[in-house]
Amino acid sequence: MARAAHSGTRVDVGVLVVCVVLSLLTLALPQPMRAPVAAALRRTLMSPLVTVQRGAAQWRVAWMESERLAIGRDSLAIDAADAHALRLENDRLRGLLGMGSRLRWGFVPAEALQENGRPGDVITSLVLSAGSRAGITTYSPVVAPEGVVGLVQTADPATSIVMLFSHPDFRVSAMTADGSVFGIVYPHIGAGSAGYLLELRNVVFRTLLKPGAEIITSGLGGTFPRGIPVGTVIAEIRNTEGWSRTYLVRPAVNPADVTSVMVLTPQRASQGVGNVWATAAGADSAQARITTVSDSLARAVARLEAARRQAAADSAAGHPARPDSGRGGR
Amino acid sequence: MSAARVVRTTIVVGALVVLQFALEPLMPWRVSADFMVIALLYGAVRMRPGAAAVLGFSLGLVTDSLTLGGFGAGALALTVVGFSASWLKALFFADNLALNAFFLFLGKWAFDLVYVLAMHNLSLGAMLAQLFIWSVLSAAVTAVAGVVLMAILRPLDAARRA
Repeated sequence: MARAAHSGTRVDVGVLVVCVVLSLLTLALPQPMRAPVAAALRRTLMSPLVTVQRGAAQWRVAWMESERLAIGRDSLAIDAADAHALRLENDRLRGLLGMGSRLRWGFVPAEALQENGRPGDVITSLVLSAGSRAGITTYSPVVAPEGVVGLVQTADPATSIVMLFSHPDFRVSAMTADGSVFGIVYPHIGAGSAGYLLELRNVVFRTLLKPGAEIITSGLGGTFPRGIPVGTVIAEIRNTEGWSRTYLVRPAVNPADVTSVMVLTPQRASQGVGNVWATAAGADSAQARITTVSDSLARAVARLEAARRQAAADSAAGHPARPDSGRGGR
Repeated sequence: MSAARVVRTTIVVGALVVLQFALEPLMPWRVSADFMVIALLYGAVRMRPGAAAVLGFSLGLVTDSLTLGGFGAGALALTVVGFSASWLKALFFADNLALNAFFLFLGKWAFDLVYVLAMHNLSLGAMLAQLFIWSVLSAAVTAVAGVVLMAILRPLDAARRA
């Protein structure tokens, strides 16, 4: 039994020696002789394994490609969102530049640093990037190209805090654009987006305002000069007091979109802003009218062109002219 | 070795070899588990040293056929590892996962050692870095993967013994 075991061990060692010698011989083979052997192995015995390996490699490439595509898609989505925000900011800055050129003097441009309140909270104040060193004083009116934003409550050397029109203590004397109706604008107390609405109170009972009527500052009280848009009338609010009317007003400015503003200096506020906003509104409506007219002209030209092509086609086919062509048609 | 045991060992070794080729492209890192070594050690401890040497030689040729240089280096390394594992199977058979992990670690590192020396295409610094950093890490990963696989396959062996 021991002899058999010893013999088995000798066989094992012999097999090991043979395998090692074969390995060394294979290792010592010159490259031109190794390649055909390896290629023959790959084409026969290894073929299924090579297929498995190729499938795994293709799966990995596909997975990486899908990840790359997902990253690209996400980047595009972010770019698209940024483009929209940039377009809005561009429009606002362009409006601010236009207003600056119309005002010419007596204003301080400033960046509005938005507070990050909880979702649904009504923003009632803003921090501006300019302060008393730039000429801003307490109670200076703060405006945007669309209209009234608020007034300066605190003016520090480098920054200032603005009380927005949504603040419970905000008041501004206002009137309709034609100057026929006067009242006082208060913030409308409400939650969410309703908190940004305004109320035009103390309107004489005998006068009625239609929805859409424009409300501007009246200049009474001395803080805001006359002619700055405040908002538009939405509807009348029924109240218990029978001697005056109160109207709900949609503000001209959305505080959440305010990024750049202008602070009017006291000299400018006392001397008025003239028809800066009326000019802007006029320019806008003129632009809208020009667009409408050009669209109408384009449509008319297209109709005429279509009629001309139809007439040419009819005459080429030898058909009689249509009754409405103006050449008879009995 | 009974016919059923031969069949079972063949299936497990074959599955591990396929696993190596299926997972290798998905692990393009310098440190990865070597299922070929795990397959060899799994088979080697269940057969005589001579047969284990032949198995190692065969698996080595399979590995070498897909490499550009060093045809024969893998065969030599796996022959030596297979024979040694089978010869030390009395220790390896201990039902102790830590001991199994140690032998898997040693087997993979010995394979890399023989392979790198047989290839002799690295500079001294690169060879030392390969042997004492990357090979050690690969051996550790292989040991972990091997222990997990052995833990999975253990119920099969227990059923056989019962």
